[in-house]
Amino acid sequence: MATNPSTYALSQSSESKQRLQQRRRLFQETDWTRSDGRSFHQCRPAFLRTGATNAASGSAYAEFGVTKVIVSVFGPRESKKAMMYSGTGRLNCNVSYTTFSTPVRGQGSDHKEYSSMLHKALEGAIILETFPKTTVDVFALVLESGGGDLPVIITCASLALADAGIMMYDLVASVSVSCFGRNLVIDPTSEEEACQDGALMITCMPARNEVTQLTLTGEWTTAKINEAMELCLDACSKLAEVVRSCLKEAASG
Amino acid sequence: MGAMTVDRADGRSANQLRPLACSRNILHRAHGSARWSQGDTIVLAAVYGPKAGTKKGENPEKASIEVIWKPKTGQIGKLEKEYEMILKRTLQSVCLMTIHPNTTTSIIVQVFGDDGALLPCAINASCAALVDAGIPLKHLAVAICCGLTEGGSVILDPTRAEEQKIQAFAYLVFPNSPLSVLPSAPSAEDDAPIENGIITSVTHGVMPVVEYFNCLERGRAACAKISEFHRRSLESQVPVVARKQTFEVLWWPHTLTAWPEFHGFACNLSEADVLTVACCCMDMPRT
Amino acid sequence: MAASSTSGSGRDIGGSGGGLAAGEMEVEAYRRLFPLPFYERHLLDSVRPDARPLHRARDTSIALGPVASADGSALVKIGDTTMLAAIKLEVMTPSADAPDEGSLAIEFHMPPICSPIVRPGRPAEVAPVISKQLSDVIVSSGMINLKELSLISGKAAWMAYLDIYCLNADGSLFDAALLSAISSFSHLQIPLVSLSDDGRVVAVPGDLLEDKSTPELVNKERKLLLHSIPFSLTCILHKKYILADPTAEEESIMETSITVVLDSSERLVSIYKPGGSVLAHTSTVKDCIVLTKHRMKELQNILEDSLSAMEVV
Repeated sequence: MATNPSTYALSQSSESKQRLQQRRRLFQETDWTRSDGRSFHQCRPAFLRTGATNAASGSAYAEFGVTKVIVSVFGPRESKKAMMYSGTGRLNCNVSYTTFSTPVRGQGSDHKEYSSMLHKALEGAIILETFPKTTVDVFALVLESGGGDLPVIITCASLALADAGIMMYDLVASVSVSCFGRNLVIDPTSEEEACQDGALMITCMPARNEVTQLTLTGEWTTAKINEAMELCLDACSKLAEVVRSCLKEAASG
Repeated sequence: MGAMTVDRADGRSANQLRPLACSRNILHRAHGSARWSQGDTIVLAAVYGPKAGTKKGENPEKASIEVIWKPKTGQIGKLEKEYEMILKRTLQSVCLMTIHPNTTTSIIVQVFGDDGALLPCAINASCAALVDAGIPLKHLAVAICCGLTEGGSVILDPTRAEEQKIQAFAYLVFPNSPLSVLPSAPSAEDDAPIENGIITSVTHGVMPVVEYFNCLERGRAACAKISEFHRRSLESQVPVVARKQTFEVLWWPHTLTAWPEFHGFACNLSEADVLTVACCCMDMPRT
Repeated sequence: MAASSTSGSGRDIGGSGGGLAAGEMEVEAYRRLFPLPFYERHLLDSVRPDARPLHRARDTSIALGPVASADGSALVKIGDTTMLAAIKLEVMTPSADAPDEGSLAIEFHMPPICSPIVRPGRPAEVAPVISKQLSDVIVSSGMINLKELSLISGKAAWMAYLDIYCLNADGSLFDAALLSAISSFSHLQIPLVSLSDDGRVVAVPGDLLEDKSTPELVNKERKLLLHSIPFSLTCILHKKYILADPTAEEESIMETSITVVLDSSERLVSIYKPGGSVLAHTSTVKDCIVLTKHRMKELQNILEDSLSAMEVV
């Protein structure tokens, strides 16, 4: 098994490229149905549960449609030896993908920036002063990628942090919106993400009405941005409720 | 199984090992070193340490052992990682880990030639190197490779060509018997003599369960021979009266009281004394 | 719950403990401070802290097909140890010396989520070793006939990528990984394929199967035939005790382990005992083999149940 021969994945017959073109055209129209039957402003059903990994201080599993994520939180524990003294705690985040998370094997490693984006999204919500000199590690593994991976990771991470008993100002919820021509589509699947004109993701602490992270890519008009933000913030506060009820369930059960 | 006439390319009989050779103290910078060869399988082991401190994650109340495997060519892969792990765990089981707490002893294994039975050869080499470095050991670990041919007969110490042809093989490691070090010692006819215990067993290929036990028996007998060789090569190279002002060898048979006698002392030492002697010797500067 | 640190009250564990009296120590504290005596007291009574008899393995479950995008997948839990295995088939050109054979690539991963020991950039030492053990066992057991992975002799064959992720590491990793590997192979559905005009192998979607215009199928069989499936059991040896299916805690306290792998016709695929301070005598090895035979029956039933449950759905 010294050198594996080069292999290729099966393509869904030859007309897949045409299909993509077709879909792109379709999505530009004002009215079309989403592949999972949702309306444009409807999020995927969210399944959240704490305690996925008992070796960790806290952990959570999230399933939003096809997207499946596990997040483990370790610590607060000793910082790396090489680290300088720090009066506040450190947050260390890492996101990785399984090789089978994407339709074609091993494409999950394209998301190198997710680790730092997760860090930035959570940093503002955690009360770092409560664990000086130590580090909290937040590790995420995407078991299956089905679109909107980063918002799911962030939401799941905030649940895992709460499960680990790390002090936070508020739960963090994250939702993304895709823009297609004149339509805004919330919580897109990977199929939709592949054809979008622009994307907006908001991470916020709904109870405090504070945004910890906002990313905007693609072509947007100001009016559309406002509309998308409203949509996201509304969805975030609903998602935070789901997270909160999951925590309550875990605490009472 | 009765068919004892196994045709081996090099004309050996089924139970015959390849010529063994062992030379120690061949590297000057290492604290101990040994070159062990079984036919064309040649391994050089070097021991550095005990050095201060253990790695993170290791128990600081015990000594720690680190094994670094250097293949003949190329980089190390999964196979070598596995060898490192097996070698490390095997050596941990023979070393007296409580004598030098919070230290690390490194064993570097350099492969010179691989003609089958590489891991057993490396284990034998590392043990000889540990002895050379004066690392306190409970006993020696003696390793052998037993192969099971397609015809169902057991061959010992297969070459690489034989390894590729055979149905299955087992790497077995046994402790050496304390009896033969000191013939006058009371024979350990307990229910379970220690030389019958398996330190390490690694098998490849499918075999009937009975064949494994057959391998065990043959392997055990062969290990007694190898351990005999080990001892003789130690005796010939060990200064019975400390020639170099410091002891090169600090290992003792299982019956601890036998140790001073083995080294030509005529005194009665308790187990604790032996350990003290061992510790003192370890602290002496090497010449 | 309280237990005295001096008397043998480790035996009361599990019973209703009283208040904390002077000179007594909380069980959890005792367990952490003196792990070995804590265990040895249990062993005297032939029971383990999780209330298991010494030879009993933890509850085991197999869920088939958790990964929709894979061709075969399984989620296996042995106690708290959780493994997710998935197979993805890709097409390769077979090597010249084995033109009728496909290939297997088995990889065992320990992502940082599974254990506090693993950190990003500092992978677990055992991961490559278990990877190697798994490929050795699966290949040498002859469970999979590589010829069944052939598509067009000399031109195309399947390369089965089996990736096993440890989601929660709580001991007996090899056993759980092997079980997840064989489960995902039992679950594997080979896609039906045809040859496109440019000589590439392409999938034939299910709705086109009836279509007369679809090019001729290259393969017919959708399932692999699994011969003599290997099952394993890891035991911890401590003094004269044999503890089957150890947890991570047990593995860290009593370090001598032995893994026996038997195939369904009770032949020996592997006996793996890498060192350890306890010597295994012939009788111990025999006991472990007997335990593995029992465990194999258990696992065969669990696997059959989950396979038949899948067929019903």
